[in-house]
Amino acid sequence: MRVLCAFYKSFAISMVLAANLYLPGPALSQSLDELHKLAVKEGGTLNFYATLAQINAEKIIPVFEKRFPGIKINHVDATSDKLVARAVTEARGGKTLGDVLQVPLENVSQAHDQKLLLEVTLPESAEYPQSMKGSFWVASDLQFIIAAWNTGLVKKEEEPKQYEDFADPRWKGRLIAEPRDLEMLMGFAKYKYKSDEKAIDLWRKIAANNVEFHSGHSQLAELLVAGQAAVCLTCYSHHFPSRIKKGAPVNYMLSEGVASINGTAIFKSSPHPNTALLYARWVASQEGQKAMAQGGRTPAHPKVEPVDKTRTEKIYPISVADIKEYPRYEKIWKEIFKLR
Amino acid sequence: MATAAIPRSGKMTMSLEPALLIPVVGAGVLVYLAVLPLLMLFVGSFQAEVAPREFVYTLKNYHAAYASEYTYSTFLNSLIFASGSAGLSFILGTMLAWLTERTNTPLRAIFVPLAVVPLILPGVLESIAWIFLLSPKFGYVNVWLMNLFGLKSPPFNVFSLPGMIWVHSVGQVPLAFLLMVAAFKSMDPSLEESAMMSGANTWQTFRRVTLRLLMPTAGSVVLILFVRTLESFETPALIGIPARIYVYTSEIYLAFNEYPPDYGRGGALAVGLLLLSAVGVWLYTRATKEGKKFQTVTGKAFRPRQFDLGSWRWAGFGFLSGYFLFVVLLPFLVLFWASFLPFFAAPSWDAVTKLSLDNYRYLSGFRPFWDALQNSILLATLTATVAMILTSLVAWIVYKSRLPGSWILDFLAFVPITIPGIVMGMALILLYVAFPIPIYGTIWVLLIAYVTRFIPYGMRAASGSILQIHSELEEAASASGASWWETFKRVTLPLLRPGLVAGWIYICIVSFREFSTSVLLATGESRVLSILLFTMFEQGQVTVVAAIGVLMIATLLSIVAVFYKLTGKIGIQT
Repeated sequence: MRVLCAFYKSFAISMVLAANLYLPGPALSQSLDELHKLAVKEGGTLNFYATLAQINAEKIIPVFEKRFPGIKINHVDATSDKLVARAVTEARGGKTLGDVLQVPLENVSQAHDQKLLLEVTLPESAEYPQSMKGSFWVASDLQFIIAAWNTGLVKKEEEPKQYEDFADPRWKGRLIAEPRDLEMLMGFAKYKYKSDEKAIDLWRKIAANNVEFHSGHSQLAELLVAGQAAVCLTCYSHHFPSRIKKGAPVNYMLSEGVASINGTAIFKSSPHPNTALLYARWVASQEGQKAMAQGGRTPAHPKVEPVDKTRTEKIYPISVADIKEYPRYEKIWKEIFKLR
Repeated sequence: MATAAIPRSGKMTMSLEPALLIPVVGAGVLVYLAVLPLLMLFVGSFQAEVAPREFVYTLKNYHAAYASEYTYSTFLNSLIFASGSAGLSFILGTMLAWLTERTNTPLRAIFVPLAVVPLILPGVLESIAWIFLLSPKFGYVNVWLMNLFGLKSPPFNVFSLPGMIWVHSVGQVPLAFLLMVAAFKSMDPSLEESAMMSGANTWQTFRRVTLRLLMPTAGSVVLILFVRTLESFETPALIGIPARIYVYTSEIYLAFNEYPPDYGRGGALAVGLLLLSAVGVWLYTRATKEGKKFQTVTGKAFRPRQFDLGSWRWAGFGFLSGYFLFVVLLPFLVLFWASFLPFFAAPSWDAVTKLSLDNYRYLSGFRPFWDALQNSILLATLTATVAMILTSLVAWIVYKSRLPGSWILDFLAFVPITIPGIVMGMALILLYVAFPIPIYGTIWVLLIAYVTRFIPYGMRAASGSILQIHSELEEAASASGASWWETFKRVTLPLLRPGLVAGWIYICIVSFREFSTSVLLATGESRVLSILLFTMFEQGQVTVVAAIGVLMIATLLSIVAVFYKLTGKIGIQT
């Protein structure tokens, strides 16, 4: 029995490997339209594990579905750690459902640590700088963590110009933030001050103003609009143009911000490998990046400009190498804010 | 018991084959549904993954779950949350029940259906509505009170343990109310009358006689409220997690949903919660049996007497109308109002000018909404149908067939009541992610989860009506040569119909509202409405969430309307 099991296991593994080795070769040299035909034959479904917010997804996904008729995106949306946790659970049971993972780079690399992702170099990634791609991912878009405020609660003359302003005690009890945004500490330490001490010192002063934490950036933005706090310290810049258009009483600071990368990756045991590849290649192409921009995100492609004002003047970019130092900064961040 | 009348006649042996096959199949189905997932969970809680898909047996999961630096705070939070909610909902429910059942409070009759209305409101929406009302900075109640009295700081903060207790309690009051109404209705008034005749006033009689007579029932009601709070996940998810107040259910959820997922620790926590809940349910069933010692229902005909509250009856009226306005109506109103806003804003002229139907228009073209609605309706009707068919068969075997060992079926059908929703979700993931049946990630795994969880409700509805049918009707059929199946189909089933319909509708409603099991099992295309609400609320589309909520309540109301219409026709007392 055990022998049979082992045989079956190795057989299954070799089949998976064969499928993976076989696939990208021809599929990578094909045009998107040829790949589209293969994708339709696979069943026409893409299980898309992505943190893309509904307000963006509803503009981006239809562009893809219209461009490639017969393919329906099944968008599984949740916060990034939930998505990775789910993928790990599925892999543990030997049942991979996901085709494409599109989450912050930190979480892409967690999935890679768990050996869930396909090593592949997409032809489209050639146009991206080294910092925007890796052996198992390519950037889908950037997000800028910035400060934003409720214009009903912050007077014109006290509007913040830079992060140092929030050390002032007049902000006491008026600040909210996301508990997991340690990129702020890291980005400041590595690129703003080039000194851990200075960055820690600033965040300690800000922490003294009793920052209130709420999970999820979309919810943070909504809380800010509703007036839960005067200032959101770690909001995403792309959340505000659409809200301001609707007449929400908010504004945001574009003088400086930490940039983090969202990456696209393909699951190694994806049930629809061609469809997964089709999406990954499309979203990395200029065409897909334009759709991302139209959908309100900040494209990662060097030749595609964002539609909305989302890029900051001074950018502190979190690189792949920086991500390796997460645990260290996470510990300090949690200690500064007494987070669990 | 009426079943004693069944003769062990030759007819019975003739129909033995199906009659034996069905209990065995029934037991098999129940074991598969209720026992297998628990076994999987139990085994999983002792496993650790050392290499991909290589497991060793260990006790370290239990160490991580019960000897960490957070064990104490989680335990304390759970205890405060559960006892606070049980106490508060019991007090409110008892007040409502007493005022409407046993006093001469004006207009009390109209408050009876009103007190049950919150049952319609799914727990997720209940929490969201109260966040809108009691959030420290933008909650309407806080804003109004601060403006009204010129307060410097908000009087309420929903993101706290008292906040959680309040929100969960008001959702649970209808249950406490219904249980206590039943208790008050069945009370023999002669003891109270004797007290009054011996010169006690209303208050003394209430305190010294009524309250004491109620003690055993009250104890078991509080216990069941306590267990249900411990198992609940709506308030801990929507209010507890953002406020970083963790209870058992949220710890289990996070163990599964944070990176890296820790199934072992989650499993160990789940086993603990399961045991707590099982002990609670066991105590409850024991207490309700023991309750017979304090029998208040006797063969004597009686009508519970009404207390004359004198001028205090207006205070009673004030309490009832205040409760109705602020606790029942306000959450509905705030959801309704928010559903017309472009973004959440305090009520003002400025906000009024921004009101529009945009959210509803948006939903009409929003595919995930239609998918989730379709899933929810499909699951609710399928669950109700499957559960009622299964439980009517099981109940028939248990109460009518008198086959040896049929109590095992009864027990198996009762087991799921002890399984907290989130534990069920977790057990089913562990089971089906590794199981050869490819239903993981589809709505079929949700169907299995719902059917399993609601079997006990179905049993209650089915056994209630089965016990009422005298066996002579079935005996007559079988004496006239009808087979076992024909008898069941042509005699038993039609007689059972009213009870089964009531059970069907009830299961339909609870399935439609279900959250704590679905939260782990529903993904992408198998997403149901309650989970769509949760993810969209997390994503900050709060006013669209309010619009979905309004539509969801409308759907539930129409189910109830159909229920009233149907039951009116076939004549069930509700």
